Amino acid sequence: MANDTQEGKILILATETCAYPGANSVGQAHSSYPTNTYILRVRAPVLFPERFYMDCFRKGISGIIVMSCGEECPYEGAYHAFAKRIDNVFQLMKKQDIDLRRLRLTAICTVCNRPFLKEVNDMNTLIRELGPPVMKDTVEN
Amino acid sequence: MSETKKDESGEARVGVYICHCGGNISDHVDVEKVAEAVKGIPGVVVSHTEMFMCSDPGQELIQKDIESGSINRVVVASCAPSLHETTFRGAISRADMNPYLYEHANIREQDSWVHHGDPATAKAITLVAAAISKSRGLEPLEPIRVDAANHTTVIGGGVAGLRAAVDLAKSGLKVALIEKTPFLGGNASQLDKVFPTGEKAADLIAYLTSAVIKDPNISVYTCAEITGFEGYIGNFNITVSSKAPQGDMLHQVQAATAGKFQPFGGFLPKGIPETDTEETLTTGVIVFATGFKLYEPRTGEFGYGDNKEVVTLRQFIRIMDEAVPGTGTMKIDGRPIRRIAMIHCVGSRQIPGIHEADADDYMNEYCSRTCCTATLQAALEIRDKYPKTQVLDYYRDIRTYGHNQEDYYTQASEKNVLFFRYEPEDSPVITKTVGEFPLKVSVIDKLTFNEEVEAGVDLVVLATGMEAKSITNLVEMMKLPVGSDKFLQEVHPKLRPVEMANGGILLAGTCQAPMDINESCNAAQAAAAKAAAKAAAMLGKGYVELDPFVAKVDPEKCKGSGECITECPEKAISMTADNIAEVNPALCTGCGMCVAVCSVNGIDIQGWGLKAYEDMVDAIVKF
Repeated sequence: MANDTQEGKILILATETCAYPGANSVGQAHSSYPTNTYILRVRAPVLFPERFYMDCFRKGISGIIVMSCGEECPYEGAYHAFAKRIDNVFQLMKKQDIDLRRLRLTAICTVCNRPFLKEVNDMNTLIRELGPPVMKDTVEN
Repeated sequence: MSETKKDESGEARVGVYICHCGGNISDHVDVEKVAEAVKGIPGVVVSHTEMFMCSDPGQELIQKDIESGSINRVVVASCAPSLHETTFRGAISRADMNPYLYEHANIREQDSWVHHGDPATAKAITLVAAAISKSRGLEPLEPIRVDAANHTTVIGGGVAGLRAAVDLAKSGLKVALIEKTPFLGGNASQLDKVFPTGEKAADLIAYLTSAVIKDPNISVYTCAEITGFEGYIGNFNITVSSKAPQGDMLHQVQAATAGKFQPFGGFLPKGIPETDTEETLTTGVIVFATGFKLYEPRTGEFGYGDNKEVVTLRQFIRIMDEAVPGTGTMKIDGRPIRRIAMIHCVGSRQIPGIHEADADDYMNEYCSRTCCTATLQAALEIRDKYPKTQVLDYYRDIRTYGHNQEDYYTQASEKNVLFFRYEPEDSPVITKTVGEFPLKVSVIDKLTFNEEVEAGVDLVVLATGMEAKSITNLVEMMKLPVGSDKFLQEVHPKLRPVEMANGGILLAGTCQAPMDINESCNAAQAAAAKAAAKAAAMLGKGYVELDPFVAKVDPEKCKGSGECITECPEKAISMTADNIAEVNPALCTGCGMCVAVCSVNGIDIQGWGLKAYEDMVDAIVKF
C-alpha cells in the first residue's frame, strides 16, 4: 500500500538518544530523502538477536541501516556487544548469499543531517541496483 | 479499580488519532485518508483526525474514548515523540488508563517535513499501521519510584544564572551555582548601560550577586566545571572540579577586590580556590545558563584586524567608557573622532554564497536580535556626549523589536544619526585612505535608490552577533539536544519553552538563543519557576517516577540457562532458588543486551520488546 513493492523498503533502527533525534533534525531542516525508509526508535540496537535481521530480509526488507550512537552509546558495553553481533549477522548473510551491503552499521549524532542523508541515499541506490533480497535456503527449497 | 482499568490487559481496542498540526502535517499528508485507511486494521475501533492533537480538545478526544470504555490502547500520529509523548501519556493517565498503553507515530519530522504528496500519505499509513501493531501487544506498566534530592544546580554565573539561582533559593531549594571563571556577571559585565532602561549593567550585577552571596541556600563554585555526570531527574550525580586560577586569569583575580564588582571584569566572590579540588553533588534539577560568545570577525572582514580604527561594538563600549567626556568631539588616545561608521549584522544573518562559512561549513544564518538596539544605544550615547562627532549607521534592516526599543531608532533619527541601508551582496567596503580621514566607507545605499555613497571616517564599529558558546563536553556528557544554529534546544518553543528533552534539565538565557538581558531574566525566572515546580512536585511525594523500561523475565519461558546474567553489564540479573532469572529494576538500564542472548525469548524490555519490533516490521512489509 505504502510504496511500490518493486522499490524495496529500507528499515532504519535509530537510537533514541542520537540517531532518532538526528532524523528529526533532518526533518526540521526539511531535507527530502526517499520515502521507502521506515525509522524505528530503539533504545540500543544490541537488543536485536541475529535472527531478527535475517527475518527482516526473509520478510522482504531490502536494506537495513542501524544508526547507533557509536562509541557514545549511553549503555555500558552495549556498543561492543552489538558490533560483535553484527559480525555474526554478516556471517549468516554470507551463508544465505545476501549481499553484505544490505546491512549497514553507522553512527549518527543528533545533528548529523548530512551523514544521515548520505546513508539513506546510498542504501536506496544500492537496493535499486540489487533488487529484492533472495535467501539461499528459499531458492533451494 | 474502574471497569476500563480492569480491561487494560484484555483484547486490544485501539484508538487512532491523527494530527493535522495546523497544516504542518496535513499540507503534505492526506490525514483523512490515513484515518480511513487504518480503520480496517485489526484491533482499531476508532480513528479520528484533529487540528492539534496536543491542544485541550485533542487530548479530550482521547479521554472521551477512554472514559466511554471504547478503547484500551492509544496511537497518536503527530510530531516527534520527544515533543508530546509526555503530553499524551498525561492525558491518558488523567482518563484513568495506564499511560504506557500508548504508542506514537512520527508523521511530521519523519514524513510530512521530508516527503510530499501521495508517497507522504502512503508512508504515514505505514507508520501508523506499525504503531498500531506495537500498541496491540503493549501491557500496562507501573513507573519506578526513586528518592529525589532537594537540590538544584545552575551552570553559569551570568545574569541568567544569577537570576535563576536567586529565584530557586527563594523557593526554598538548595542551589549550587557553578561558574567557569573566577567572576560572576558573565557577558553583562562587559557592558556599560543596558537597554531599554539605561541602567548600569554593573548595578544590575551588583544587585544579583549581592542576593546570591547573602543567601545561605546558595553555594557558589567559581573556577569550576562539571566533569562527571550520571543519573536522572531527581537524582543527578555531578562531579564539580574547581581549579586554582593561573596565568592571565590569576592576574585578573589579583587586580580585583574580593566581594566587589570590577568594571568590565565582573564580581569577584570570596573563596576563589587556591588548589585544585573535586566534589560530587547529588542534585535534582539542572538549569543551564552557560550564555553565549560574541562573533569574532575574520581578518579583513569590514577591515577588521587590518586597521586599528576598526573595532567591535563591545570593544567600543569600553573605549567610550574610558574616553574623556564633554569635549564636543570624542577623542581616543588624543585622536579626534569626528565621524564614526557603525555597521550592523556582522556575523549574523549570514547567507550561503555571500558570506564565508567556517571550517565546518557552518554559518550564522539567524538574526542575533540584540545588536540593532545596542548599536543605536551606542550611537545615541555618542551624540549625547559628543555632539560634534557624527554617526553614520549602515544597516540591512532595523530590528529594534522589543518593548520601548523602537524609541532608540526614532531618537537616533532626531539626533541626526545618518542612516544608510545596504543589501548583503553590496555590503559596505572599508578602505584605508591617506588624507583627512584614515578610512573610507563605500556603500550602495538603498535609501537613495542605489546611490554609491562614500564617506571618510575616523572609526568603524562592527555590531557583532551572538554565537552559541562551545560547551561540547557538557553536551556530549549529558546527551543534550542542540539545534542547527548550535544553541541548546528546548522541547517546544511555546509549550515547553525552557525545558530540554532530557528530564530535569532546564534552559535559562542565551545558551538557548540570542536574547537581551530582559529576555534572559524572563527565561531564567521561567526556568527557575519550572525547576522549583518540578522539585516541589518531587519533594511533595518524596520520589521521582521513572519510566519502567527495564528488563522483565517471563518465568513461563525462562529455562535458567543464566546467559542473561553473564551478559548484563550492570549485574542487574540474578537467579532465584527456583532457577529462574530475576531482574533488579533499580539496577537495570534497559539496554536490552540480555534480550538478544536468550535463546528462549524468556526476557524482554518492558515497553520496547523484541516482539513489538517484529510486529512493526511485519506491518511495514505489509502496508
